[in-house]
Amino acid sequence: MSDWKRDRRRGAHSEERESRSVGLSRWSHCRKRGVDGNLRSSSKVDGREKDNDRHIEGSHRYPDGRHSSFTTPESTGPVTRCSQQADWGSQVEDDEMRRDVHRDMQRRRILGAEVTERERKTSSGSSESNDSKEGDNIETDEAVLLRRQKQINYGKNTLAYDRYIKEVPKHMRQAGIHPKTPNKFRKYSRRSWDQQIKLWKVKLHAWDPPSENGLNEVLDNIEEPDLGDVMDIELDFPSLADSQNASVSLRTHLLSVEDDDCLGTPVKVQRTESTVEADMA
Amino acid sequence: MENSSDDYRIQSFDLDTQVLLKTALKDPNSVNLEKVCSIIVDQSLKDQVFSKEAGRICYTIVQAEAKQNNGNVFRRNLLNRLQQEFKGREETRARSIQEWVCYVTFICNIFDYLKVNNMPMVALVHPVYDCLMRLANPDALMNEEEVDCLVLQLHRIGEQLEKVNSQRMDELFFLLRDGFLLQEGLTSMARLLLLEILEFRAGGWMLSSTAHKYYYSEIAD
Repeated sequence: MSDWKRDRRRGAHSEERESRSVGLSRWSHCRKRGVDGNLRSSSKVDGREKDNDRHIEGSHRYPDGRHSSFTTPESTGPVTRCSQQADWGSQVEDDEMRRDVHRDMQRRRILGAEVTERERKTSSGSSESNDSKEGDNIETDEAVLLRRQKQINYGKNTLAYDRYIKEVPKHMRQAGIHPKTPNKFRKYSRRSWDQQIKLWKVKLHAWDPPSENGLNEVLDNIEEPDLGDVMDIELDFPSLADSQNASVSLRTHLLSVEDDDCLGTPVKVQRTESTVEADMA
Repeated sequence: MENSSDDYRIQSFDLDTQVLLKTALKDPNSVNLEKVCSIIVDQSLKDQVFSKEAGRICYTIVQAEAKQNNGNVFRRNLLNRLQQEFKGREETRARSIQEWVCYVTFICNIFDYLKVNNMPMVALVHPVYDCLMRLANPDALMNEEEVDCLVLQLHRIGEQLEKVNSQRMDELFFLLRDGFLLQEGLTSMARLLLLEILEFRAGGWMLSSTAHKYYYSEIAD
């Protein structure tokens, strides 16, 4: 799904985020690439040297030669270990995000209690208008909240989002037309949440910066149901990891060659193009 | 907000670079932040005066970038460059004590200025301690340069460091006590600096007025 690389303000440094932000949730925590975009399997285990291992709080030592990244189903254990091994830049960002999520949780606890009070008084039947009705429906699992926040951050760290919030202030937003950030505190199944994120990001593309070859208009005209075809293409890739690897290098090439021309070209469309190019080469 | 270039000590740069840095402070997105970061780090490793206050300019750029478009390209580059230098610190020290001392000063300055939600960056805590522990090693205590750097950093960020990890501070001070007591061949200046920092921490990261008089006043002979 959304590898809408062009709209990310960060350049090559965002390669890692690209591979992480691909919709397939099974691999969403796999950091196959370092920040510089290179595959990590042969890289060093950790930035710290052996004699510093005794200072790693609460964690165990990694024997030499162990790969620093590995595919795992998402769970809290591997995620924390991965983030401990990351470069300082990512560590600080993760730490910052964790604090933000905790702060949100605190706010939610306070506000949630108030909302519940109000609801008891008005006994409103509608479940749509309030974000979280009762304690039962609030997501409190930290790992889940962190993961969701990360996905939200990917969507918000785009030019499209920047332009959107500047153009449409909150009070002007209309339900259904204007994209709305999914509420991470509501209980949803994993599939449902991931789907909401996908749809939200797709909707945001309507605010992509204008491109010369008019692909944005194509995107704008795509109805949501039609995206089923495009999404099926993605699922048809036998192992997304491989196709990702192949296409990333092509993508990088395209980035450097075409530069300003393709600012708005979503990478998925681009990938199709590059596959075609490869076929024709 | 008045940002005179004096605040950031950028006079040591050539004029073109000064312009670049000033632009980065006001309009970060219009410059190549990776390049700016590189310039600042390189200079910090060479210029002792600059390394003592480079944190301030870094802080301002980070804030400006975050405000402008919620980006943190500069911070990310800065941290990763710091990490790189950290990995190679032993080689750096072997090559040039001066450069090593500049590095420690710089990373401590960054630790001091760059906070995340008003908390110190967790990622830097252990590396900073590692550097200070290195400075407290017997071979380093023989160099006044390194002792001086060590006590300076402890004066500036010791209290904060202790708050985030008191155990490592205890370990560091075991080394300092040992060094003061047992290390042969220390210069009297080195011993003075060590004694002062021991008293400083014991006094809750400040000197009593009498101690201050002892260490910092002219002693009539």
